[in-house]
Amino acid sequence: MTQASPIQSEIRVLPALVVDQIAAGEVVERPASVVKELLDNAIDAGAGRITVELEKGGIELVRVADDGAGIAPGQLGLAVHPHATSKIRSTEDLDRIATMGFRGEALASIASVSRLSIRSRARGEDGASVIEVEGGSASAVRPDAGPVGTVVTVRNLFFNTPARRKFLKTPTTEQGHCVDLVRALALSHPAIGFVVRCDGRVVLDVPSGQAVRERAFAILGREMETQYVEVHADRFDDARGIALWGLAGLPVLARPTARWQHLFLNGRPIRDRTVQHALREAYRGLIEPGRQPAALLMLEMDPGAVDVNVHPAKAEVRFRDSGMVHKAVYMAVREALRSTDLTAREDAQRFRFEPVVNGGAAATGKSAVGERFAEYFERLVPDAGTKNFDYEGIKRTLEEERAQIERENARLEDERRRIAASAPDAPEGARARTPDMAGQHGLVEMRPGGRILQVHNSFLVTQDDQGMVIIDQHALHERVMYEKISDRLAAGALESQRLLVPEIFEASSARIELLEPLSGLLERLGIDATPAGPHSVSVHAFPTFLFDKKVEPGAFVGELLERAEADGWDRTMEGGSDSAREELLHEIVDMMSCKAAIKAGDRLSEQELDELLAMRERVERSSNCPHGRPTAIRLTIRELERQFGRS
Amino acid sequence: MKVICDRAALQEATNLTAGVVNPRSPRPQLACIRLTAKREGAGGTLTLAATDAEISLRLTTDEVEVQEEGEALIPADKLRQIVAAQDTDPTLTLETDGEKTTIKGTGSRFLIYGFPPGDFPPIPDFPKPEAAADAFSASSEVFLQLIQRTIFSTARENSRYAINGVLLKRHNKKIEMVATDGRRLALARGTVDPGASKSEGGQCIVPTKALNLAQRLLPTAADKIRIAITDNQIMFAFDDPDSPGGTVLTSNLVEGTFPPYEDVVPRDQDKKATLNVETLSSAVKRAALLTNEESRGVRLAFTGAQDKMLRLSSRAPEMGEAEIEVALDGYEGEGIEIGFNPAFITDALKVVTGNDVVMELKAGNKPGLIKSGNDFLYVVMPVSLQ
Ligand SMILES: Nc1ncnc2c1ncn2[C@@H]1O[C@H](COP(=O)(O)OP(=O)(O)O)[C@@H](O)[C@H]1O
Ligand SMILES: [Mg+2]
Repeated sequence: MTQASPIQSEIRVLPALVVDQIAAGEVVERPASVVKELLDNAIDAGAGRITVELEKGGIELVRVADDGAGIAPGQLGLAVHPHATSKIRSTEDLDRIATMGFRGEALASIASVSRLSIRSRARGEDGASVIEVEGGSASAVRPDAGPVGTVVTVRNLFFNTPARRKFLKTPTTEQGHCVDLVRALALSHPAIGFVVRCDGRVVLDVPSGQAVRERAFAILGREMETQYVEVHADRFDDARGIALWGLAGLPVLARPTARWQHLFLNGRPIRDRTVQHALREAYRGLIEPGRQPAALLMLEMDPGAVDVNVHPAKAEVRFRDSGMVHKAVYMAVREALRSTDLTAREDAQRFRFEPVVNGGAAATGKSAVGERFAEYFERLVPDAGTKNFDYEGIKRTLEEERAQIERENARLEDERRRIAASAPDAPEGARARTPDMAGQHGLVEMRPGGRILQVHNSFLVTQDDQGMVIIDQHALHERVMYEKISDRLAAGALESQRLLVPEIFEASSARIELLEPLSGLLERLGIDATPAGPHSVSVHAFPTFLFDKKVEPGAFVGELLERAEADGWDRTMEGGSDSAREELLHEIVDMMSCKAAIKAGDRLSEQELDELLAMRERVERSSNCPHGRPTAIRLTIRELERQFGRS
Repeated sequence: MKVICDRAALQEATNLTAGVVNPRSPRPQLACIRLTAKREGAGGTLTLAATDAEISLRLTTDEVEVQEEGEALIPADKLRQIVAAQDTDPTLTLETDGEKTTIKGTGSRFLIYGFPPGDFPPIPDFPKPEAAADAFSASSEVFLQLIQRTIFSTARENSRYAINGVLLKRHNKKIEMVATDGRRLALARGTVDPGASKSEGGQCIVPTKALNLAQRLLPTAADKIRIAITDNQIMFAFDDPDSPGGTVLTSNLVEGTFPPYEDVVPRDQDKKATLNVETLSSAVKRAALLTNEESRGVRLAFTGAQDKMLRLSSRAPEMGEAEIEVALDGYEGEGIEIGFNPAFITDALKVVTGNDVVMELKAGNKPGLIKSGNDFLYVVMPVSLQ
């Protein structure tokens, strides 16, 4: 499948005004920038299949071949002329950028620092033509043989600017960047086939005409299918509508960097703080603070509502209404996470008993409804690059689909009820409760009166309708504490107990100075701490519940100041946004819950065990501790049967 | 060694001594109780000794009939379990053969492998008064009350070790014991008999665990107990000096400095409520019903000298609210509102004697003071209220 080419007329030189409006800057930094520009052009040309060849990480050679519209012989010279583009003609056009490349400077810039040649044959032409440019001076265009499409070859990058060549990293590193880039574009262009060869070896090969979900897992890896949940949103309420489809990684996939985040806006890979922040917010309490969730998000919105030209590398965008984008992303992802049982899926991937009988496939249960959603989005999500997004049509489809899914849901529910009622050996309690088991929160239901086993004073073992559930007591309690404190904070400052004699601890003057900017935050948390001298801090009041959990005021506040210094909390408090400050507050609540929670190794009485499990059911999203580790894992009966060779 | 023991007496003695033992001791010998049978007095005595390296207890019972003198070193938990399990037997017979000890009851016989008694560390004797830095004696009743009135306020597992124990301070006949966990402080006073002590007194910090044991031993102790303090140890002798064997508890002292408690006791409280202990205790308990982990505090609103009412209220978000009203026996000063952790109030009310207590206050964010007579003072810090 090829896309309609947005190239409407011949290439022309941009008026000076437009040139000025375009952010100047380096286009070419490294081989990956070359790959990016060439791929953008190929995609803009409506390619159906793109082949990328790299030698020595692209330092020696980058070659991108496409089967797109091609360039007419008469236009070849202009293509390498600075600010020559066929894609924008006026300032107004800048407002509605829907194509990948748009500044008309990429080929010229690349040509000025490499040995570049283009061989292209436009549709309808009899043959191809070639132009060669070395260090900025172009050869004459001469005819050549070749299929329709364009092959751009870039050799010896920075051969004439040795200083910049020196800044290149090892070929392996550069190659990594190039391949990451192709991956990103392949994700957002499932209809286009991509092949990447590095020094002759195929490192990526995805066919054309894939659906978006299919493509996602072709790139992320088949085995990741159970590790992501689907996310979707549609906002058609007004002209600034945003549609969103994506995959949100289970909390275990979170990484210290945003490397596992793939964000796209109208098919263009972007980096955006608003979206990143919204993502982190949605995972708040599910992953460790400071970690980044794994996610793939594709946003589609009217090009007029985004300013793409913020950064010359084009990865950064500016939303006209970033609040709306934040909200849409946050709500969609959070909703997807809420309605998913995040109890880590204990599948054959990560869990193997000996002997493994049939080396088998993951036995994770994907619900019928989930399956339907998947199909539905494969159909729904428009191919990237489709300019006229049929909002009304999609909205209708959506509503129909939703009604259908609800009907399906109800049917499944009935069925479940029937099965549960007729199961002769189901214990009384389980039978009565089965209907809620499909509950939206996906919490693991414990059988009432069922025995709970504490293993090594660290793990609790119990069962639910699907199998065996193993709970990490510290993680669960931490989770419970976190929710309780957060709830309490919503009602007002934490209750605070005054101390008989202030607890004094030593601190550097830098840390002591943080008390002032953090004072508002500390007050809400029920902490009263003041400088006691040039090198000491005294704590006068401390949250009641932390006292009860034997957390010591001096040690805690000392640690808090240490983190505050390391992470520059004063800057967040003074110059940060409201949401950043709120995030800080929750970071401290995290610290508190971790300290207050029962530890691995604590022996729990029968009553404490019951209480903990009862709280588990009450607390939202209790399947992950605030640090993002799972609180529970499940070993399904199916998996057990498989392990014992019974199926 | 062969000894016939009254089972109940043996059970009591084993329970107490086993309480000292650290079951996770890396040396199995230290997880044992040493038994020593002597033919003294009428039927003889059996002495049980245990230690956890910090505290050691030597306890003697004469409810035995010693047929053969001797010693044994037996794992504490096994001995305790067996003695407790044979609960229909009036007596049990213990007989040793080398490191093995046989315990015989009706229809049952247990053979336990122990260790050579010589492997057990020596348990110090109660020192002669001259050998101690301080020595005095006290009525066991008085001393028990001093412990009861303070021990509940000690901190647990706090890194400021000093407050994990109780401060004991003697000056001539006067003794004070003080405990605090940083949020409240209990101070009990009493009198002791310095006897021929050469010093005016002194102070030391006694570990909570030792006082807990003392608390259990005191009810059955002689009328007067003896206390000796050396550089780093405190010793309690619970029996008359002339009774054979004798029960002696020895404990290392807690190192460190106790917070300057005199400064903490407020002196300028200008509001003074007199309350019936039962009434206040019941009201606080009822108000505490609607508190939870995150909202512990109970609000005490004293209406003032005119209507002499106390209104207690509590509120836990998502749980509910409580309001309780009680009449005061007396009130001086202006009205005031203050929040307290209810457990801190009821803890103190449990150990006061007499019908009334006096609660002295100053401001909502200043300490509260509870007094019962002249010999009990309790300082409690408020909690913030919503
Ligand atoms: N692979 C290609 N297929 C067809 N046309 C191309 C291709 N690459 C470049 N061109 C043409 O060359 C012009 C200049 O490319 P470039 O310097 O990248 O600027 P821009 O993409 O911003 O217009 C493009 O506008 C386009 O018309
Ligand atoms: Mg371009």
